[in-house]
Parts: sequence; structure tokens; C-alpha cells
Amino acid sequence: MKWFIILLSVFFMGGSQFVLADPEQRSVEFGQKDAPRVLRIHSSIDLASFGPLIEGFVQRYPNIRVSYKDINTLEMYNQTIHDSRSPQASLVISSAMDLQIKLVNDGYAQTYHSFLTDQLPNYAQWRHQVFAFSLEPVVMLVNKDRYPGPLPKDRQDILQTIRQYSNFMKGRIGTYDIRKSGVGYLLASQDARQADTTWGRLLEAFGSHQVKTYCCTHEIIDKVASGKLVLGYNLLGSYVAQRVKEDTHLKMILPKDYSLMVMRVGLIPKKAPNAHDAGLFLDYLLTNSVQKRMQVETLMFPIKPDVMTKNTLNILGKSGPQRVVELDQQLLVGRDFAKQYRFIKSWEEALEITH
Amino acid sequence: MWQKFLCRQKPNKGELVSESTPSLRRRFIIGGISIISVIAALAINFVFEYSQRLADISYDRLLRSALLQMDENIGLVHNKVTIDIPWSAFATLAQANDDRVFYKVVSSSQGFITGYRDLNITPPKPPQLDKIQFFDREYSGEMVRFAWLERHLTESESTGTVRIIIGQTRLSREELSSSVTERAVEVVLMIALVAVALIVIGSQLVLRPLHRISRVLEERQPGDLTPINIKTPKETHHLKMVINHFMARLQTNLEQLENYTADAAHQLRTPLASLRALAENARDKTSPERQQEALENIVTQCDSLSQTVTLLLNQAVVSHRMQTNPKEPVDLLIPVTASCREQAITALHKGVSLSLEANVKRAMVFGDAFALQQMMQNLIENAVRYSSLGADQATEVVVRVEEFSNYYRINVIDYGAGIPKEEKKRVFERFYRGRYDTAGSGVGLAMVKDIIDHHTANIIILDTQPNGTTFQIDIAKYQTAHGAEDFML
Repeated sequence: MKWFIILLSVFFMGGSQFVLADPEQRSVEFGQKDAPRVLRIHSSIDLASFGPLIEGFVQRYPNIRVSYKDINTLEMYNQTIHDSRSPQASLVISSAMDLQIKLVNDGYAQTYHSFLTDQLPNYAQWRHQVFAFSLEPVVMLVNKDRYPGPLPKDRQDILQTIRQYSNFMKGRIGTYDIRKSGVGYLLASQDARQADTTWGRLLEAFGSHQVKTYCCTHEIIDKVASGKLVLGYNLLGSYVAQRVKEDTHLKMILPKDYSLMVMRVGLIPKKAPNAHDAGLFLDYLLTNSVQKRMQVETLMFPIKPDVMTKNTLNILGKSGPQRVVELDQQLLVGRDFAKQYRFIKSWEEALEITH
Repeated sequence: MWQKFLCRQKPNKGELVSESTPSLRRRFIIGGISIISVIAALAINFVFEYSQRLADISYDRLLRSALLQMDENIGLVHNKVTIDIPWSAFATLAQANDDRVFYKVVSSSQGFITGYRDLNITPPKPPQLDKIQFFDREYSGEMVRFAWLERHLTESESTGTVRIIIGQTRLSREELSSSVTERAVEVVLMIALVAVALIVIGSQLVLRPLHRISRVLEERQPGDLTPINIKTPKETHHLKMVINHFMARLQTNLEQLENYTADAAHQLRTPLASLRALAENARDKTSPERQQEALENIVTQCDSLSQTVTLLLNQAVVSHRMQTNPKEPVDLLIPVTASCREQAITALHKGVSLSLEANVKRAMVFGDAFALQQMMQNLIENAVRYSSLGADQATEVVVRVEEFSNYYRINVIDYGAGIPKEEKKRVFERFYRGRYDTAGSGVGLAMVKDIIDHHTANIIILDTQPNGTTFQIDIAKYQTAHGAEDFML
């Protein structure tokens, strides 16, 4: 219940009573130290994925220095509201699309127009205040060596395996803690929206087999790679694809019944310092060369379908129906106060988490 | 008269004050454009208001639908009022692409249930249960369209009311209304432009026949007075008729003038030639008596010439009067008496007694007194002159005025030689010179005929018994409303 109270205070009391993340948390600097312009980015993207792109940016614009801070999606949301009078960040990037939409709806973002952002399809931007630059599948990750039975193709296969190898599977499944991770909550709520029954059974099965919950994708991937877990559920495709490329024990699976497709989206807070360079950075992410580089180097999945390589198309092509989570007002429903309260409560009850 | 006529053929630009009077075409265009502008402005204003209303009607439906979907999902969980907002409710609102959404659900017993805590607004009209109200309010820095509903909780375990407020910014509404307005304004402006163009072209077309007529007139030879026979629209027909009529009158004037000039020349040439002959004769005579006699002849001839000139002048005056002076009621006896009195002495010189017999005291006709007098003078002069032409010297000329039921009859009777039957018809022709017309007036009877025609009277030539000629003139009485007789009495 404590978590819930915190959430309450976050959403409806302006976050002022919320204990913010360690202010001493170090940010990573890119570019020349004496560059006259500073672009501060708050982002939930792992540096392993984002670093090369930022390097490319400061090389292209040598008089801009990038100060990059990796923050959890939920903290970032609170911080943006908390700082709304004088924001630290010029650019806020997150894969928790619903939180970003809520920031826009509640008037914390400013409008930005450019040739490249105007070309984005409707589902990939909203109000010219929040813009997507990557579209990636939500996947399952299995440890091929440790997974009992045939590898799962969809959610039903997981339920089947759990039933069949009930004892083995106990404590060997990992997924997001939807109370700590904004993305986790988004994915869970979208799962519930897409297939409520399947989601209910899955949650029940997870609960009865002591599922492990984590704040962040890379923790789950690490645990699966090390064999402590055999299955990671609802992970961001880009991180998983990166690890699968290096580690042959691992396999990325796009569920055949349906795959959620989520975007990484950026917004410029109102009154943000150096909003101009923030726009420049968004445009940089949307240029064809950078979009191409994202997938050639397996950093992310690009938003522009016309730059996709054969490899990416193969990965996506193998999946079943894709459910793109679109950037619009519907995402506000998932973050409705009453709905969120009930959803987290039922999640906690299903996973038998005690407070 | 010729001088005047020529002047008209070469119009002096200075005389026509075309610069100061406004152009018909320009007035037409300016008037048309201002009316069209006013209509266009009214139409645009109407479209502007209408499109706003239209946009509100369309998007209020979305808002109502979302509100009802939310309302349907209000329920009790563990005896607490709660709401499970359906995704579809916001999918409905997402049709307004870029519009922010604000909402709040409160119940009377629990207070805030979900939504935006600081969304505390009241509708403009006093709230009524179960009735949705729409209104605009500013919230979160933007104008927002709100739908507001308060209703009783229907579940048996609960009491009190629940209130749902849902709002949407006005971006899509403004977009829709401005796109409607834009299109409509485009159409209105296009119609207005077309109308203006039509007015400009139309005015050109309408006035073109007038320009054609004026061009045709301008290009004419100075003396050309034939009717205009170019093809022009029906509407200008009357104008053409009037011009043609006017030109016909000019033509008549001109012809008369020509006739008069010819008359005059004709009249003067013969006496001048005879004068010359007499003068030569006088020059060649050697004896003073003969010379004296010849000079006497010259004086007589001069008198005759002077008489002719007077006659010509009178004729000019008469013809001018008949052209210009309107007719009026005249007592016929006055000119008749005057001309008799004037001719009496001349007649006596020639041994003719002139008498006037009238059985009326007044004889009112509609005409011109001067012309009538000239007419009488001519007839009497002729009668006197020809009294001496017969085999025996006739000694009497009678002028008789009689009254009939609706006309007066004037008889001028002489007992001279008379006019042969075949000549009677021709004596009124200009320059006809019968024996009857020896003194050379030649024009006198033609003028008489003109005056008779002018008064729509009638003249016939009868034989006087036993010999001589009677000119008989019938001229209509002047009819007043009460009849000529009443007027006379």
C-alpha cells in the first residue's frame, strides 16, 4: 500500500512531497567541455543503446555539449512536473508513452515544429509536443539451455509450460514491477486491454509461481542470461535484440497471438532551457542516416519503416498481429486515478505481494 | 437656318458638359459593387457564426458520447462508488486529434473519485439532475468545452448523486469551423467576383448599342438625314425612332428651306431680267418722252418686285411660324377682315370693289392668325389681279364667310377669266404658272395650300357663274368642351 500512496501523491499532489531520485546522481557528458551550448537530456534509454547516437550528435554539432541523465520513467515523470517552473532538462525521453502523453495533456510540454517532425504519422506524435523516434516490439526472452520443453511461441505456450513444469518454473519467470516502472505499467495495462482473459490467467499463473519483478529491463535480461530466470516477459525488443546478438543461449520471441509495439518518445518541457537544441536533437534522431544507424548497429528499432533493413523486417515479420500503442488521448485512460488504483491492487493481489 | 444646321453637324466638345455629369456605366458599376459587397459581408458573417455552431454541434456529440460511456461505467465496488473508464470513451475523444482532455468524477457522499482534482467548475445555468450541459470555460491555460452531468446513483445500497465533468480543448472545433468558413468565404468571394465581372461586362454590353448609334451618327456625311437602319436591340428601338423622327423633321425643314430658296431665286430672276430689259430700253430711247415712259415702266416693275419680295418674306415667316408656333384658338373673322381691309385700296386702284359678307360675329378655329391672314391675302390678291384678265373688266370680288354645323366656309369669288378645268388641279403646285398666275407670284397658291394643310382644312376651286373662279375653303370649328356655340354666346 505504501507504493500506492506514493503514486497517489505523485499524480495528484504535484509530486512536491515525493522524495526525488538522488540529486547527486551523476550525469554523463558528451562533446567538448568548453562547448558554448549545453543540451540536458533526461532519458530512460540505456546508454549502451543511446550513447553512440549522442556521440554522433556532438560530432555533427561540435559547439553543443550533451549532458545525459539516465532516469527511471516514473521518476522522470515526477521530476518533470516538480521542475515545471524551471526545468533542468531540455529534452525528456521515455518509453512510458502514457506518462509522456499525460505530461502533454496537463500542459507541461511545449510545441515544436520542423520539417522532420511534421512528416511523422499521426500515431507517432501528438499536438506537435511529443514525438516518437523509435517503434519496437515488446518481446519474451528465453534461455534456450534452461527452458523446459519446447520454446514458447505465444502466451498460451507459456501457460502450458507453467502447468507442465509447475515446480521448475517457480521463481524462474521475471517481469516488470508495474509499481516501479512506468513502462512496465504501460505494457501490463495494454496487455489487459488487448486480451483481458489471457492477461488474467497469465497473472494468476505468475502469482502462483512466485514471479520475480524488477524495475528495469537489463536486470531481467541479466538474470535470464545467467540462468537464474528462464523466461522474461514483456521486455523492450531493442535491449533484448542487442543481447541476443551477443549471447547464443538466449532467444528473443515475438508472441504469435499478438505483439505490442511501443515507441520511445521525446518532449521538450515548457520553459525548458535551450529548447532550440532540444528540437535539433529530435530532428537529428529522425534523420534517415540516424534512423538507419539505429538498426544497423542494433541500437533501437527506427520509427520510419522505409529505412528498415532486411534483418529487422525478418524479426518483425515472424511475429503475429502487431498492436501499435498509438500516441493519443486513449493512453490517459490507463493512467486514470481510479483505474490505476484498481489495476495495481489487482496486480498485487494476483502476485500475492504483501505490503 | 443653313448656318445653324451646319453648326449642329459639327458638335463643339465644349458645349457638351460630359465631364461634369457622372457616367451611367460608372454609377451602375459602383452601385452594383457596393450592393454585392454588402451582401458578401453579410453572407460571410452568417457563415462565420454558422460554422462555429456547426463545429460545436458535431464535437459536442463526441463529448456527449464519451460522457455517457463514462456514466455507464460508474458502479459500486465494496460499497464505494467508483468508475472504470472504458478505453472506448477516450477513443471517441481521440477523434478530435490534438485536443487535450480533462475530466473529473465526484460523488456527493465520497467527494473526489477520479480525474483532475482542481477542476472545480459550475455550469452557467443552474444545474439540473440528469441533464447534460455544454459550456466553454478556461482551464489549464486554454479554452475548454465542457460537458457536465449530475445524476442520482441508481444502485440500491447507495444514496446521493454522482457528477461527471468532461472537457476537451477547442482546437478541432476551431479547425473545422475555419475550414468551413474558409471554403464558404472562397465561394462567396468567387460569386461576388463573378457578379462584379458580369456587371462590368454587362454594362459594356448594354451601352454598346448606344455607342453604335452615336458612332453611326458621327460617321455620317454632314447632309445625310436618312433614317438610321442599323440593327440594335429592342430596348433602343424607341431611341432610334425618336432620332429618326427628329431627323425627318430636320429633313422637312431643310427641304422647305431649299424650296424657299429656289422660290425666291425663281421669283426674283424674272422681274430682274425684265427690269434689265426695261432699263436697256430706256437707255436706248432717244426722245425724252419715250425715255420717261420707259422709266415709268421701270418704277412699276420695281413695285411689282418689291411686292414679290414682301410675299416671299411673308411666306418665310408663315412657314417658320407653322414649324415653331403652336396653334391656338383664333377668331377667323379677324385675319379675314384684316386682309380685306389691306387689299381694299389696291383693289380700288385696279377698279375692283372688294366686299366681305359674313353671317357670324365670331368664327373660332384652331390655328395661326398670321398664317390665315397671309392665306386670305394671297387669295384676295389673286382674285383682284385676275378680275382684270377676263374678256370684260370684272368689277367685283366677294369674300363670304358662312357657318355650317361644324365648320366655317370661306368663299373668295371673282368674276374674271376663270381657270380651265385641266389647270385647276395644278395651280397649287409650286412654280406652276398658268395663265392665271401671270404676275409671277407663282408661289402664292402653293403657300395657300401649305397653310390649308397645316390647318387640316380643305380647299377646292369652283367656277363662278357666269364666269370667274371661286376658291372655297372649309375649316373646322374650334371645339371647346361646351361646344363652339356656347363659347360664342
